[in-house]
Amino acid sequence: MKRFIIISLLTVLALPMSACIWFTNYNNYLFSPYDMNEFRSRVEATCNDNWKAYLGSKEEYYWFDADEAIKTARKKNDLLMVTYIQNLQKYLQCADEKRQEQWDYPTKEQLAKRRQTLITVRNYAQTKLKTRLRSQHALLVMRCNMLLGEHPQNVTFWNTTGSTMIESVYRDMMRNIFAGALYKTGSEYEASQVFAEQGDWESLMTMYYEKRSCAAIRQEYQRHPDSAVLPFLLKDFVNNAQEAIDAGNDEEGFGGKLFIRDITKQEARQMCQLCQQVVREGKTDVPVMWQSAKAWLEFLFDNKQQAVSDITKAETMGGTQRMKDNARVLKFYITASQMPDGKAFDNYVAEEMEWLDTKLKDNVFFSDAQARITHQILMKRYNTQPNRLLAIEKVTGCSEYDDCIDTIKVESLLKYMVYTQAPSANALDRYLKNGLKNSPKSTDYEAQLNDLVGTKYMRLCQWDRAIGWIQKVPLSFYQEQGYARYATFRKFNVEPWVKRQWDDEERPQMTLKTNPKLAFVKEMQQMEASEKVLTGKALQQCYYDQAVRYAQASYTGDCWYVMRNTKSVMDTVRLNETDLAAKAATLLRKASATSDFALKEKALFGLSYVYMNPSRWYDDVWDDNTYEYSRKSNRQSTQWQAFATLAEFEKKNATRTSSYVSRCDEYQQFLKRYRQ
Amino acid sequence: MKKWLTGILAMLAALTGCQRSEPQGTKALEMGQAVYYWRTELRLDSVERAFLRTHDIKKVYCRYFDVVMRDGEPMPNATLRFNDTLPKGIEMVPTIYITEDCMHARHEWLAKKLVERIRQMNETNDISGVKEIQIDCDYTARSRKTYYEFLKEIQYQLSARPKVACYRRDARIINCRLSTTIRLHQLSMPAPPVDYGVLMIYNTGDPQKFMERNPILDMRDVAPYLNRLKGYALPLAAAYPVYSWQRQIHGVHIEHKVEADEILRVKTAVESKRPELRRAIMTYCLDKENINRYKTETYEAIYHH
Repeated sequence: MKRFIIISLLTVLALPMSACIWFTNYNNYLFSPYDMNEFRSRVEATCNDNWKAYLGSKEEYYWFDADEAIKTARKKNDLLMVTYIQNLQKYLQCADEKRQEQWDYPTKEQLAKRRQTLITVRNYAQTKLKTRLRSQHALLVMRCNMLLGEHPQNVTFWNTTGSTMIESVYRDMMRNIFAGALYKTGSEYEASQVFAEQGDWESLMTMYYEKRSCAAIRQEYQRHPDSAVLPFLLKDFVNNAQEAIDAGNDEEGFGGKLFIRDITKQEARQMCQLCQQVVREGKTDVPVMWQSAKAWLEFLFDNKQQAVSDITKAETMGGTQRMKDNARVLKFYITASQMPDGKAFDNYVAEEMEWLDTKLKDNVFFSDAQARITHQILMKRYNTQPNRLLAIEKVTGCSEYDDCIDTIKVESLLKYMVYTQAPSANALDRYLKNGLKNSPKSTDYEAQLNDLVGTKYMRLCQWDRAIGWIQKVPLSFYQEQGYARYATFRKFNVEPWVKRQWDDEERPQMTLKTNPKLAFVKEMQQMEASEKVLTGKALQQCYYDQAVRYAQASYTGDCWYVMRNTKSVMDTVRLNETDLAAKAATLLRKASATSDFALKEKALFGLSYVYMNPSRWYDDVWDDNTYEYSRKSNRQSTQWQAFATLAEFEKKNATRTSSYVSRCDEYQQFLKRYRQ
Repeated sequence: MKKWLTGILAMLAALTGCQRSEPQGTKALEMGQAVYYWRTELRLDSVERAFLRTHDIKKVYCRYFDVVMRDGEPMPNATLRFNDTLPKGIEMVPTIYITEDCMHARHEWLAKKLVERIRQMNETNDISGVKEIQIDCDYTARSRKTYYEFLKEIQYQLSARPKVACYRRDARIINCRLSTTIRLHQLSMPAPPVDYGVLMIYNTGDPQKFMERNPILDMRDVAPYLNRLKGYALPLAAAYPVYSWQRQIHGVHIEHKVEADEILRVKTAVESKRPELRRAIMTYCLDKENINRYKTETYEAIYHH
């Protein structure tokens, strides 16, 4: 694992450094005192549901269609609805035209006409404010005023009429337009309260984008200790403080997320003092939010003991359920990062993880929090307990699980399998083993582990040990793997240096008829047995045939799936895995000793194949003066040596060169350099 | 006297020689500084106005609208709302971005509709003094011929026609110039039928490979095109990136931006291959955030002729 990490780091460091290098650090925001239920999507969903109910539609994704609604209203003899929709249509047309997405851009006269239409629709709607559809018509009045830019009229209309309507989505929309009108007419504070109460975070961010600071939060608090905007501003401040730390923290941050505001330690300190003041003054109904904010800021700025003390106090304070849950999440993170190892710690982790599991379905915040706690705390704390670590990664769905279980030694995997089946030693083991049992497709988990043990033995070329494990795995398991498609048509005995087995999009999906790994293991077993009894040319042919299979099974071969589940351009030989390409190269060298021309030519050609060589025959070097790459021969490379041997061989047998050699463009390019 | 004459003749020869080394039509390229304006609302704040003043910006290439395929037809999209005017003395160049798929087939009516829409936008919003329009399209080998035909049709629409006399004098856009953007990969194709091109020296990388190269600008991505510059048969202005690009990958925000040194390194390289690129220089795009991203000296260096 250590080697794997070192190799990964080297790979990252080898990349050209730029401002945009990124990898996830799981620094999900942990300060989240309210649910981000966005106003716009909430309203759209309710409106669509209302129309669906009126039309009796069962469509899952309904979108308003005025003509269809008018037709239904006519059928119901609902004349008021018909005229409402007709006027709504006119309004929507004006709104659409205002977006100006037609080829005919409006003239000044057309703009005047549009204005007149809006006035007519508004006048009509005003006459229907005492009807059954009064809320819809009142909304229409406000919409028209909004497009007409008559914002003061909207403020008056809401105060005298809109606000008196019954609670409904139309009233919510009127109130939102009212808030916009307040903003446009200079009543920014009042507007912000409405936007915050409605969860219209987009509008709030537009309003406060330039005004987010400790000083602004203090001013807001002084204006009203429970201003609806305060949770929004406080969340923004605390999470930006995290961004500032992430950006300056090489180990964890590596660039951070969107860097919105650079919050200094000094400003964070002022914020802590403000939080303390707010809690002390007792004017707020939600002290838990302020105390939690202080605790998290103290933690972020390295006052860990103070953070523990603050978050412990927060637990007992008042606030909304979400704020209290948020405090518990923060306490889990802060405490778990400092509590000493031992039974008490294990029990605490088990209890809090169980609680978090019950919350996961409520909101994405809790799953984000679990991901952060797992990655940043638990994986470090249980690093020396590999079985528990693997189980934690598996139960919480960490992406690291796959890498870790794939690269550990086979002996470690066998120990892990024993652990998962043994009785639980404490609360944490109980939690983890329950999690493993309850995870989806837990029956597949056994097949997956059996396959993995077998594959690990295959990677070590221990065919006799591998076969017992691979045989236990049902064919249906392999059929469900992502690589099954490749396994249906690729063959181990095709020489990769002569023919690549590319996939074809047109190729129909096939079903696996045999266990591909078992077939490979059996062939290798048989060949190794033959090798012991063969001599002369037959033995050299056997070396060559084995080399072909090793090359195919290596991570660069077409049959990579016998040794691993996925393929990537970033692949390398992994930890606890034999370098199969190197093994193939050794066998090709043995085969090339033959006196048989055809076998020797193929073996030499195979040795010069790019994937058989750790270093290429050339390097493309960047020239800062000419702004161009130039090709430099790498005469010390293994590929150069292999190509050179092939070239000398072909020179001696000039009339007999096979077409797969003479047509190889890489070889031709090499020859040009070689002959210079 | 003889020495004098010889001297004058030598100077003339040298001057003529200099002119010959520049591509044909270079004179049509006015020397000066310009910016792109790429928002959906025309409203300048004090920082942006100060920038225009400080850097003596002569032209603003203002995106009027995009043309995108909608329901099988090219349609306007994201039209500019005019809530402000440019400071006096700065020329407005209506700029239209057309998505490449609009040029997969010929739409005979498109050029006329497009020019008419620009004219109407000018008239409705009291924009006067328009002398040029620019079309921005990432045309490829597949769409090039259609695009060039389309540009010729625009040229025709912009030329004097009898009906033009009906237009209000200050809104007409007859006899005005036509320019287009040229992306680096387009340098390998024949030049388009326009008065001049603006070489877009940005968006050079593959956004998918953002961990390897800066997708906005990287000298290594510009380098393969440098040798094409000298022989490209169209006067060229140069446009450099000053923007940042924020995007979300797996829920995490990432910000791409180009270091000032890299912009200037690229400027030196392209100008060494084609000195004409010093004449007309622009940046993409005018925005307070972009202005604050770089020092004034950096902007001065970018705009240095």
